[in-house]
Amino acid sequence: MAKIAIDPITRIEGHLRIEAQVEGGKVTDAWSSGTMFRGIEIILKGRDPRECWALTSRI
Amino acid sequence: MSTVRDDQSIWEGLSKKGVSRRDFMKFCSTMAATLALPSSFVPRIAEALEKKQKPYAVWLEFQDCAGDTESILRATKPTIAQIVLDVISLEYHETIMAGAGKAAEKARDDVVKNQKGKYIAIVEGAIPTKDGGIYCTIAGRTALDIAKEVCGNAAFTINVGSCSCWGGVPSANPNPTGAVGTGEAVSGITYVNIPGCAHNVENATATIVHYLTFGSLPPVDSHHRPLFGYGKRIHDNCERRAHFDAGQFVRKWGDEGHRRGWCLYEMGCKGPEAYYNCPTVKYNSGTCWPVQAGHPCMACAADHNWDAFGPIYKRLENVPGAGYQTSADKIGLGVAAVAAAGVAAHAIARAVKGKPKDEEDK
Ligand code: SF4
Repeated sequence: MAKIAIDPITRIEGHLRIEAQVEGGKVTDAWSSGTMFRGIEIILKGRDPRECWALTSRI
Repeated sequence: MSTVRDDQSIWEGLSKKGVSRRDFMKFCSTMAATLALPSSFVPRIAEALEKKQKPYAVWLEFQDCAGDTESILRATKPTIAQIVLDVISLEYHETIMAGAGKAAEKARDDVVKNQKGKYIAIVEGAIPTKDGGIYCTIAGRTALDIAKEVCGNAAFTINVGSCSCWGGVPSANPNPTGAVGTGEAVSGITYVNIPGCAHNVENATATIVHYLTFGSLPPVDSHHRPLFGYGKRIHDNCERRAHFDAGQFVRKWGDEGHRRGWCLYEMGCKGPEAYYNCPTVKYNSGTCWPVQAGHPCMACAADHNWDAFGPIYKRLENVPGAGYQTSADKIGLGVAAVAAAGVAAHAIARAVKGKPKDEEDK
C-alpha cells in the first residue's frame, strides 16, 4: 500500500495537487486540492456591484 | 522542454524554425519602436540577437489568473509569438511544461543550481504573506519560499502583470491573504515591473531585448516600471482626446455619444491619471485596447488601482480641461488659455510625482 502525490499538476491554469492511494497497482482512493487561495468573495464585499465582473473575471 | 540551452544564437534558432530574415527584421523594428528608440538602433538590436544565445528563464506562477501567460500564448501574429518564446529558453512554466510533480521541480532546481546568477526569473501572480504564506503552495513549499530562492539567485526578475508588481487583484481591499508583489516579498533583488492586467507581452519582450542589446535593464520610474512603456499619460495618447477637449462625452452606455466614439471620462475613465503605452502598443497583437473598444480605462497598470482608482465607473474628480474648446467658443479665448494652463500644470505635477529613477542591472 503506497500513497503518491503529484504536485504541481502542470498544463492547467491554477495550482493543483493530486494524492492517490495505490494498492496492488490500482488506485483505491484519491484526493485533490487547490493549493492557492485569494479570497475574491471577501474582496467583493462592499464594492460597487458594477465592478464585480472585473474582479471575478480575473479568477 | 529541453533542459539544455541550444548552442546556437537566437537568430540561428529562429531561422532554423523557418522565421524569415524579413520577419526577424520586422521584429527588431517593433522592439526598437516599443523601446522608444530611433530606427538607427534596429541594426544594433539585430546584431545582438544574431550573436547572443538565449538566456535561461524560469517562469513562476503564484496567486495569478494565468492572464499574463495567455498574453504570451495568445499572441495572434504567429511569428511574434514564436520569437517571444524563442528569445528566452523557458525551462520552467507550470501551465505549458510537459513534466509534472517531481520532474517539474527538478527542471526548476537545475536552473537555479547550474545557472546561478545568470538566469531570468519571470513572476506572474502575487505572493501571500499572511499566516506563514500558506495561501499559495507548490509541492508543499510556499510561494514566498520559492520566490526567495528563485528570484534571489537570478540575474534579475521581471514581474509580469499587476499582481506580481504590487499585489494586484488578491491585494485589493481588505487583502485577505496579505498579498504583495515580488519586490516587497523578496528584499534586495534587482527587478523590473511590467504591470497591466494582463501585462502587454511586447513590453516584457522589449525589456529582455534591451538587456540582450545593451547589457543592462531599461531605465525605470519610482515604481520600477520601464520609462519606455510607462512614461506617457494615456489621456495624451488617446484617440478620443479630441472629444474630451470638445466636451463631447458618453453619458450612458449605448447613447449617441457612445455609438460615435466620444470621450469616456464621464463613465469613469482613469486615462487622465494613468501612465501606460496601452493606446499605442495595444492588445490582441496591436489591434485594440479598452478605450478603443468603448470601455473606460481602469488604470490597470497603476499601483493598487482597484482601491486607489476605484470604483471603475466613478468619474475622476477635477480633471482640468474637459470641454475647454466648447467653453472657449462660448465664453472667449481667455478661458481656453486658463484651461490649457491647467492641463499643463497637471501634467508637470504628475511628471514630477513619477520622477524617473535609473536602476542598474547587477
Ligand atoms: S478621459 Fe479617457 S476616453 Fe477621454 S480622452 Fe482621456 S483617456 Fe481618452
